Amino acid sequence: MKIAVCLKQVPDMESKFKILEDKKIDESQIAFKINDFDNYAVEAALQLKEKAGGEVVIVTCGPDRSAKDIRQAFAMGADWGIHVNDPAVEAGDNFVVASTLQKAIESIGGVELVLTGVQAEDDQAAVTGVMLADLMGWPHCTNVKKLEVNGTSLTVNRELEGGLNEVLEMSAPAVLTVQSGINEPRYPTLPGIMKAKKKRLDVKKAADIGASAAAKTDFIKMFFPVSEHKAEIIQGDAATAAAKLVEKLKNEAKVI
Amino acid sequence: MAKIVAIAEHRNGKLTDATLELCKAAKELAGALGAEPAVAIMSKDDTLAKEVAKYIPLVLSVTNAALEGYTADGYTQAIKAVVETQDVKGVLVPHSYDGVDYAAKVAMAIGAGIVSNCNKAAVEGGSVVFTRNTYNGKIQEMKKVNTDKFVATFEKGAYDMEAAGGAGTVTAVSADIANVRTKSKGIIETMAGAVDISQAKIIVSGGRGCKDADKYKDVIVSLAQKLGGEYAASRPVVDSGWTDPARQVGQSGKTVAPDLYLAAGISGAIQHVAGMKGSKCIVAINKDPEAPIFNIATYGIVGDLFEVIPAMKEKL
Ligand SMILES: Cc1cc2nc3c(=O)[nH]c(=O)nc-3n(C[C@H](O)[C@H](O)[C@H](O)COP(=O)(O)OP(=O)(O)OC[C@H]3O[C@@H](n4cnc5c(N)ncnc54)[C@H](O)[C@@H]3O)c2cc1C
Ligand SMILES: Nc1ncnc2c1ncn2[C@@H]1O[C@H](COP(=O)(O)O)[C@@H](O)[C@H]1O
Repeated sequence: MKIAVCLKQVPDMESKFKILEDKKIDESQIAFKINDFDNYAVEAALQLKEKAGGEVVIVTCGPDRSAKDIRQAFAMGADWGIHVNDPAVEAGDNFVVASTLQKAIESIGGVELVLTGVQAEDDQAAVTGVMLADLMGWPHCTNVKKLEVNGTSLTVNRELEGGLNEVLEMSAPAVLTVQSGINEPRYPTLPGIMKAKKKRLDVKKAADIGASAAAKTDFIKMFFPVSEHKAEIIQGDAATAAAKLVEKLKNEAKVI
Repeated sequence: MAKIVAIAEHRNGKLTDATLELCKAAKELAGALGAEPAVAIMSKDDTLAKEVAKYIPLVLSVTNAALEGYTADGYTQAIKAVVETQDVKGVLVPHSYDGVDYAAKVAMAIGAGIVSNCNKAAVEGGSVVFTRNTYNGKIQEMKKVNTDKFVATFEKGAYDMEAAGGAGTVTAVSADIANVRTKSKGIIETMAGAVDISQAKIIVSGGRGCKDADKYKDVIVSLAQKLGGEYAASRPVVDSGWTDPARQVGQSGKTVAPDLYLAAGISGAIQHVAGMKGSKCIVAINKDPEAPIFNIATYGIVGDLFEVIPAMKEKL
């Protein structure tokens, strides 16, 4: 089965964030990595390929820096990739990205299954996979926690609140958004890393693949949240703070 | 009159809390926009439409045998029929598992922009400005749509629940539902386990910051035992197999409200907080002073949990 995996590069959320002109984050202090959920999607695709053969193609919209993490997915075992590196897409919204991913996937030809992450850790939108499915005219399932493929029949578990799963049947071609915990993503091996360097990565502009969607939402500004319930921060080195905390839990909050 | 329509959510014949929250949101937004608030409900019959009419003046009820259970295709076709026949300007959807599954598809079907996972909406100069969490809760952003209609999903707790009181009208809206491409085979429980952490008075919970299974045990499990409480975890800890699923706290795990919830190496993502924000006293230990968990904690220590927790144990 030919599988496309949509992979987004996102900041490591433990980074120190600085906002520039209410508009964007200062990337100079930020380390980037594969969106956690997409890592599970890559692994799910690789496992399907190992079972039934086929090909795993990585599709990414992002700036130059994204190439590092496409290669990371290559090192895990993905076969090749398309990197749409276009400021116009970067300036767009989820709809622009979904439309671009659609064109990129159509340019591959013969793709029967598209896997995305449940959500991107940076924009936390959880809409791109569903939009993509609609654009392709394919059915979808979100929050997939288990996946079995038998020819073109898919049996999937859709995660629900409080530990419940709905078991669904559907047919490929389809788009599935993959939830964390569906598998254990592998770490690249040294030979994998060596091979990754030589794998094919097509770098495209939106126009090269016929993508030209316009955004349906406008970004206004960004800011740090102001909390009305900010914690009382207990000062001091670890030993001092720990002692004060225990004291407070006993005598102030009276919970231990 | 143009309408702001909240989509009702129900499971096992009961409306969810999110439905009542969105009744409030629809009323507020409709008021500010000079529009009419309504709820659209998809079901096999009218029973729940009458129930939701206690919370909102107008209920648009789509009944169809194909709507007995939730499907993205079924809901999208039904909501599209509502939007097309009822002069709908905005569609409000819970950012729940079902909501996330269909909201973007509805936006595509009606040609609307979508702003998802919002925690606030305000009307400024005639258009709705949405506020939402990004970067795992570290940064908020404001967005609006540039389309005529909008779809927005709201995180749980963004609005208070509307109280029952009115007696709204129920209007039937008919929709043809064809070609539903997913088939439900039923719902299963995946997190059953021997322990029930929801009854514990003290919970010590560890996150990805605990590094590995052994360290999680050394630090989190042992502190829980010393305090006579239960140990628990964020999702990545369970995903990595450091502890069992029955101990996961959050949207996809357990909801707990102990006297003391100590979160160590947990960033405070909304899906985690959803499961523990009702705790009486919350302690956060995190080396990142900007971690969102400090925005909901009672006491916080900015530091290395591998230094702070052993020091705490010495004082107990
Ligand atoms: C649909 C859906 C459902 C979800 N359901 C749940 C759920 O039920 N429960 C849940 O927990 N999550 C859930 N999540 C995942 C959630 O979005 C977060 O990814 C998750 O909660 C993050 O877990 P964490 O805080 O342990 O890890 P991270 O976000 O990676 O945070 C780790 C933290 O540890 C700190 N740290 C690292 N080292 C140290 C140290 N030595 N000392 C002190 N601090 C340290 C870091 O500063 C950081 O803040 C869900 C997500 C989705 C999309
Ligand atoms: N720029 C992008 N490039 C490739 N895939 C993306 C991009 N943005 C989002 N996706 C995919 O869509 C999923 C959901 O993202 P979002 O809707 O932004 O939360 C991600 O987990 C990715 O799989």
